[in-house]
Amino acid sequence: MNAEAPVAIRELSYAEALREAMDIALGSDERVVLMGEDIGVYGGAFQVTGDLVHKYGEDRVMDTPISELGGAGVAVGAALTGLRPIFEFQFSDFAALAMEQIANQAAKLRFMLGGEVSVPLVMRFPAGSGTGAAAQHSQSIEAWLGHVPGLKVIQPATPEDAKGLLLAALEDPDPVMIFEHKILYKMKGPVPEGHYTTPIGKAAKRRDGQDVSIVATSLMVHKALEAADQLAADGIEAEVIDLRSVRPMDRDTVLASVRKTGRLICVYEGVKTLGVGAEVSAMVAESDAFDFLDAPIVRLGGAEAPIPYNPDLEKAVVPQVPDILAAARNITSGRI
Amino acid sequence: MPVAVIMPKVDMDMASGKVMDWYVKEGAWVEKGAPIFEIETDKAAMEVEAEASGFLHFRVSEGEDIPIGAPVGWLFDKGEAVAAPADVKAPEPPEEEEQSAEDAPTPEVTPSAPASESLRATPKSRRIAHENGIDLATVPGSGPRGRVQADDVAALLEVPAPAPAMPATFDAETGPLAVTRSEGGTGDPVLLLHGFASDSMSWRPLEATLAHKPLIRVDLPGHGKSPKRRVPDFAALVSMIRETFDSLALDRAHLVGHSLGGALALALADTRPAKVASLTLIAPAGLGPELNADILMGIAKSTRVESLSPWLKQLVHDERLITDSYARLAMAGRQDPTLRAAQHAYAEAVFPDGVQAFDLRAALGRVTATTKIVWGRQDQVIPWRHALHAQGSMALHLFDRVGHMPQLEAPEAVGKLIAECIDTR
Repeated sequence: MNAEAPVAIRELSYAEALREAMDIALGSDERVVLMGEDIGVYGGAFQVTGDLVHKYGEDRVMDTPISELGGAGVAVGAALTGLRPIFEFQFSDFAALAMEQIANQAAKLRFMLGGEVSVPLVMRFPAGSGTGAAAQHSQSIEAWLGHVPGLKVIQPATPEDAKGLLLAALEDPDPVMIFEHKILYKMKGPVPEGHYTTPIGKAAKRRDGQDVSIVATSLMVHKALEAADQLAADGIEAEVIDLRSVRPMDRDTVLASVRKTGRLICVYEGVKTLGVGAEVSAMVAESDAFDFLDAPIVRLGGAEAPIPYNPDLEKAVVPQVPDILAAARNITSGRI
Repeated sequence: MPVAVIMPKVDMDMASGKVMDWYVKEGAWVEKGAPIFEIETDKAAMEVEAEASGFLHFRVSEGEDIPIGAPVGWLFDKGEAVAAPADVKAPEPPEEEEQSAEDAPTPEVTPSAPASESLRATPKSRRIAHENGIDLATVPGSGPRGRVQADDVAALLEVPAPAPAMPATFDAETGPLAVTRSEGGTGDPVLLLHGFASDSMSWRPLEATLAHKPLIRVDLPGHGKSPKRRVPDFAALVSMIRETFDSLALDRAHLVGHSLGGALALALADTRPAKVASLTLIAPAGLGPELNADILMGIAKSTRVESLSPWLKQLVHDERLITDSYARLAMAGRQDPTLRAAQHAYAEAVFPDGVQAFDLRAALGRVTATTKIVWGRQDQVIPWRHALHAQGSMALHLFDRVGHMPQLEAPEAVGKLIAECIDTR
């Protein structure tokens, strides 16, 4: 936030904060266009674009045909040739259909063309489980895209960050992938008015503590905070780090926290193996913060299985507050 | 390749488990699906079945805390060479031969066994030890499987509080220690050894539960009604207690000791094994160096109820137990300034620089009598984690919301545990 005059802060939902960011961008920069399936009159699968089509018209808020590969290709081309497209997927899972454009085109063109071009593309992915949308509409695939050099991959966890990070993504010269947890869309929180940006690649400390560092992403930040409150009643003070950005990852903030607490728990909804927590753990193990570890690192990630439709099983395959509590109690009591 | 027998996860919160009972002998054949061991968790005990057939080798000790997923043994196929797989710990060295009661050599107190070859220590503890020139092999580890953690090293670095200046003016006395006996009861007697700065009155809350046995209470030298003998060190104290024990000429006795009395009971059990029917150690000293000497010194030098009471409250978890009348009664037994001086000199000798200068961990490993260790998790005088040095065959009873005085804070439960120990023999 660079504004010098005091800025009004209101309560907005996460979806409203995203819409406000797009509204500001559309209103202030004529290069900005929205693309995606049913984002026009219908307002988007999760009503994030809402009525923006009525304000800016169908030339700026474009419904694309039901082909993720085709739509993404148009968006990459638009970005290459001077526009600032924001491309919305209905579900992040459908990135699989557009992977050629994301991983082979958008991510690589700057490198392959000697830096002569860049792809200033923003893609928005409704992600995560908890809505009963089952295996093909509930995944957390940020690690898929985080594995591709050339992409930036971010996961805002609060309405304020959703707006600030989307506006920052629009200023970035390279492709930025935003994973928005579907459960967060209705979550309300304070959001400043007007234009501001939240830096990409910078984690946020959501809670101070000395006993254990919990590095979490997206919805898991809120579960970690809930667990931290309960742990405080037992005299365990957990530090909660909202990673916010998977690529690039904020090494300094994570390492500083681990140096302080000596204990690390990573909580993320994507599949545990080869996931975000694996990267965070390795980053710590490879650094000088290793010498500050006083217990083995714990990863709490998604189960090695597709997300089930059954609501009980759907809960069981991703980390929940009791899992975080148990891990924190074990790691702080010398039980592991 | 041998098949690992894994410590299974049988409930959600479980980070480690213990093999309570092996059903299959070392080297014996076990059929797939047959029960192989019993596991105990916080909540339950249950049987675990063999996941493969084979000859069982490299079993872990019963009672040892094993992390989930770690091997507790290995199954070898017929004809397969029995060689230690990479992550098998070297087998424990054979236990030392039992000493016979009659020709027990001195000294009785021996240092603990040397640290294992591959030291388990967290990176943080290694860094702190390195920065302070501490040899990690000398640090007792409180983590799983004896892993040294940062707190273990930090505890060694804490500067002990300077000893309070206090003239140690008392005339050393001689004579036998005071022994009192209960009336009634049958069978082997129960010998009760109280802790530092206490006296045999402290067993009162327990005595109702133990009334079916003859009770023998010993006042430590410089405590209660015993003479204020000069105690140069712990070994001398052990000799005095052993002398008293021998003079009682008992066939066998059940030993119950609290804190310093626990260390003495253990030392006695180590040197008179044939005469010990069972051993109950309540928050015993001698199982690690750490000690909150401030509390003990505070009690030893208090001259009035106002100064004694805050220290007494440190002994318990529920401070409400230390009522005014309790504190007054405790002070009444400590009015004699020479007794206080004697106890102060005593603390300097037995706990120099606020450290438990005697190590009975090896002795604990040699005990063959039925043994229970009882501890309060909120003990502020001696950390309950010292109890983790117990052998697999010993029962460990940890009470939550109880401090250094389980016999005062949970007298019925503790009495019942002692009774169990006594009545099974």
